[in-house]
Amino acid sequence: MKQEKKITMAHGSGGRATSDLIREIFAREFTNPVLDAMEDAAVVPGSGKIAFTTDSFVVEPLEFPGGDIGRLSVCGTVNDLLMRGAVPKYLTCGFVLQEGLDLELLQRIVASLAATAREAGVAVVAGDTKVVEGNGGLIINTAGVGFVPENVCISAANCQVGDVILVSGHLGDHHAAILSRRMGIYNTIESDCAPLGEMVGALLEAGIRVHCLRDITRGGLGTVLKELAEASQVTMAIEEEFLPIDAQVRDFCGLMGLDPLYMGNEGKLVAFVAPEDADRACEILSGCVYGKHAAVIGTVTDEEPGSAYVNTAIGGKRVLDVLFGEGLPRIC
Amino acid sequence: MCVAMPGKVIEIYEKDALVDFSGNRVRAIAGLVPIAVGDYVLVHAGCILQKLSAGEAQDLMDLFEELEEA
Amino acid sequence: MTDISHKISQIKKWLAAYDGPDISIMEVCGSHTAAISKYGISGMLSERLHLISGPGCPVCVTPTGYIDRLIELSMEEHTTVVTFGDLIRVPGRKKSLAEAKGEGANVEMVYSPMDILRLAKEQPLQRFVFAAVGFETTAPVYAVLLEQLVAEQVSNVQLLTALKTMPPVIGWLCEHGSGIDGFLAPGHVAAVTGSDLFEPLAKQYHVPFGVAGFGAEELLLAVYGTFRAVEQYRENDVLPGVKNYYPSVVCTQGNQKAKELVDTYFEPSDALWRGIGVIADSGRKLRAEYARFDAGSELLMEDHKKNQACRCDQVLMGRALPGDCPLFGTACTPMNPQGACMVSEEGSCHQYLMYHRTR
Repeated sequence: MKQEKKITMAHGSGGRATSDLIREIFAREFTNPVLDAMEDAAVVPGSGKIAFTTDSFVVEPLEFPGGDIGRLSVCGTVNDLLMRGAVPKYLTCGFVLQEGLDLELLQRIVASLAATAREAGVAVVAGDTKVVEGNGGLIINTAGVGFVPENVCISAANCQVGDVILVSGHLGDHHAAILSRRMGIYNTIESDCAPLGEMVGALLEAGIRVHCLRDITRGGLGTVLKELAEASQVTMAIEEEFLPIDAQVRDFCGLMGLDPLYMGNEGKLVAFVAPEDADRACEILSGCVYGKHAAVIGTVTDEEPGSAYVNTAIGGKRVLDVLFGEGLPRIC
Repeated sequence: MCVAMPGKVIEIYEKDALVDFSGNRVRAIAGLVPIAVGDYVLVHAGCILQKLSAGEAQDLMDLFEELEEA
Repeated sequence: MTDISHKISQIKKWLAAYDGPDISIMEVCGSHTAAISKYGISGMLSERLHLISGPGCPVCVTPTGYIDRLIELSMEEHTTVVTFGDLIRVPGRKKSLAEAKGEGANVEMVYSPMDILRLAKEQPLQRFVFAAVGFETTAPVYAVLLEQLVAEQVSNVQLLTALKTMPPVIGWLCEHGSGIDGFLAPGHVAAVTGSDLFEPLAKQYHVPFGVAGFGAEELLLAVYGTFRAVEQYRENDVLPGVKNYYPSVVCTQGNQKAKELVDTYFEPSDALWRGIGVIADSGRKLRAEYARFDAGSELLMEDHKKNQACRCDQVLMGRALPGDCPLFGTACTPMNPQGACMVSEEGSCHQYLMYHRTR
């Protein structure tokens, strides 16, 4: 079969080019019995408490150190399911391809998406492709379904006074990696883009009393803590000295006038656990592939419901709010 | 107002120099101040503005002492 | 406990316990405002000690006419406006560069002005205009850029300048401000100009200057030292001067070569400060012989308040705290800024809102 090197409008026509594209690239990578049946809708087994979420992914560049938009679009959705204590099972993928998108690049991204789905233990059971005018870009939407075990109650509104706050590793890696490429700064920072199933599974299996989980994405840890403080009507008190930040990311932020507390990750979580379980939880997280630099960073108090603050290294107190604006580099 | 950071000079070229900030490498314009490989320099918006003096910690300590005497 | 951490704890005790007459110090530099919030220094001070945020955020003091001109340029055919990230969201009279970009304008964000050379060579038929804002720290970078433009005979790069200098505005504040007893002087300005830049002001207005760095300890030290200098002037009539708390980077004379290079390409000019007005000799413009690199900076003497209730001007002058403005946190937020102090991450209002700083 002869295939064009770039996506053209013909790939979205619904005709021969479309079916070739689906067969050659998508079906081959995502193959599983449900998808291979090529029915109008996937029919899958499952019952009980269902967790269901969706997210759309836009990133420039499409491939970046540590990941690509394909891996990202699995991690983002799977991690959202995990943060409710769900076991992720099924994924749907919608691809919006811009005219001019390089087919080899698409192939790599789809392969990466499929590999990440296998790693995360989810099957891609339905998909869709559209072609729009443009200049070689790609947007992916994924929706995910998972099942929540009966005894699990993990929610943003469930942080308890006295809980210990943990993060699963270095802050800001994803945002720093993306921005480094865009601003032309050379470094070896890689996106931390990863599925968090191993960590969440290990915590729950060990019987850690987890009250709340949240993946640290856009807006960074600062935004997450403020949002959760409001949702749970508690105070988040963290220690600057305990924050795990890679030296390279810290200096990159220094160069760009940015703050690691407001830099996004794509493979880190913050966990709120009962104080008696905190040390064990930290050990468990540290033993996971994506949790090497996990750390206890603070506690939940009842000082001022809805607020979050950092005790600074020099002994000051800094109030945290959600990120305003976009976290653009500043020079002057 | 002016974001600037100290970094270490790694290599010197004709008009600029490679400056390292804990692994972040920037080609910064040189020429406004004499530099050598290994020097610590202040970089602002891609330009080397100053060379850092050695013994920074001692400087800070001296300043504390002075203030106490005053 | 190391010696330094012992001293730090002594300094903190003094700052918390001070109960003498009120002392107000202005941190002129926007990065100092950001650092003071970030380290939590403002919360360490007794009720009698005040840190006031000053006009040292170049973005906040850039008039709307300048932003409007940048937007016009970015909409012109074969023209790209190149800027630091700081300026992208600043509102002009009708919109910001970010909004213009959304409508198809050519706007590029870079880390260094030198990046414009690469862009200009890649696209020789396109005109690139750099949004040259900044103080004494950034002026040498533009001078180096001009030197290379001249040497390499690059003809498709221009600057739209809104360069400003510190001493005239500090002098203006001393004459018009509201009881500022001392200044935290901008460390990276002083790295270029030398700490001597502030000596005449200290002598003329009898206010101490502490040249401050940006690390937590060195900044705290400068804050403490400057409060103490005011106290000593009041108690013992010790004449205020300039004290350098950032000796690793700052010397008395600064970077002579950088200053000369700036003088080669630029000359002093009156400048319009957003919300304040024109201050004599407080800016720099391209010299006549380099006018070909000017994208029309001279005609930009317009400054419009987007919202008449906005008090950014008073905040910039240290006459009002951000919280005193009726728009603060309600009609004016970083998502929908009414004045420039809310836009820049270094802007006083942005900082006070983000860190819930009240004093």
